Amino acid sequence: MKKPIVLIVLLFIIGTALYAYKMYNKPHTDVLNTVAAETVSASAIFAAFDNEEAAAMIKYTDKVIAVEGLLLSKDLSNELEPQIVLEGNGNDGFIRCGFKPEMLSKVSALKDSTIINIKGMCVGLNGSEELDLLADKDVVLSNCTLID
Amino acid sequence: MKKTTILTFAILGLMLGAFKNHSGGIYKTNTGNINFFSHTSIEDITADNHKVKTAFDASSGKIQFSALIKDFEFPKALMQEHFNENYMESTKFSKSTFSGIIENIAAVKTTVDGVYTSKVSGKLTIKDVTKEVSTMGTFTVKSSVVNTKATFTINPENYNIEIPKTVSGKISREIKITVDADYHHDH
Repeated sequence: MKKPIVLIVLLFIIGTALYAYKMYNKPHTDVLNTVAAETVSASAIFAAFDNEEAAAMIKYTDKVIAVEGLLLSKDLSNELEPQIVLEGNGNDGFIRCGFKPEMLSKVSALKDSTIINIKGMCVGLNGSEELDLLADKDVVLSNCTLID
Repeated sequence: MKKTTILTFAILGLMLGAFKNHSGGIYKTNTGNINFFSHTSIEDITADNHKVKTAFDASSGKIQFSALIKDFEFPKALMQEHFNENYMESTKFSKSTFSGIIENIAAVKTTVDGVYTSKVSGKLTIKDVTKEVSTMGTFTVKSSVVNTKATFTINPENYNIEIPKTVSGKISREIKITVDADYHHDH
């Protein structure tokens, strides 16, 4: 009678330990192989954050979002994360997309002033009206990939 | 003769004015790095953000940073999840900012290659809690790029970051923050 109980407890402990180990080592979201939760234009996602940041944080962040927009420039100044800038509001609002360093050659090949499609993890709106030197705003996406 | 002298002074004045304008101005980047590091005997925790927005005014010495909390990447996804959801509540408190002053900005010659140091002090805001911090910053000017490096420590409890007892042994009360940014003149 005692043996089955010991066995069940043992199996439970092993199962819990395996689950904990798997959770501890779970990988980051694989953006390339994740279907975008939302597909939006650069101007629409910028407007969403600019108009109501708190609601946009809940709607878009921690999700893979596909964005279509006009490529204004490539910012390759940080070799740890090549970045591109899409037009947001035509003035001082932008979409900043960061890529893994291994994407550098693909990012470098992009042509400015063309419409491009990317997807990435949305992480929020950077810039602050309270900081006069940083008043321009960026909706930021990380771990981006290019959509053909 | 008099006219020539006046003209010479006028040209000299213009040249000096132009030089003064060039050595001042705003220096900016959107690709600054911030790393934080927590060391305990049980575990080391580190995370990086490579999209920090920062700028300084080379005339007044004003310097500002804005970093998105969700943009800190950890080696382990689970750590990142806990950091954002349990400790930083990053959907609600989405960014950390610093607004301060490079105290001896006159010593930082942004148009002359060299290595300069100055105390940087100001207000650091994390989770809507603002505290005074100060540290020494190193400014390395090379080919018109101003690299800034600075390190300081913070105690998470001072910023309303509650660490549950079950994991308190794994998270240091002295989190080391390292800033490393390449600024370009903002035309």
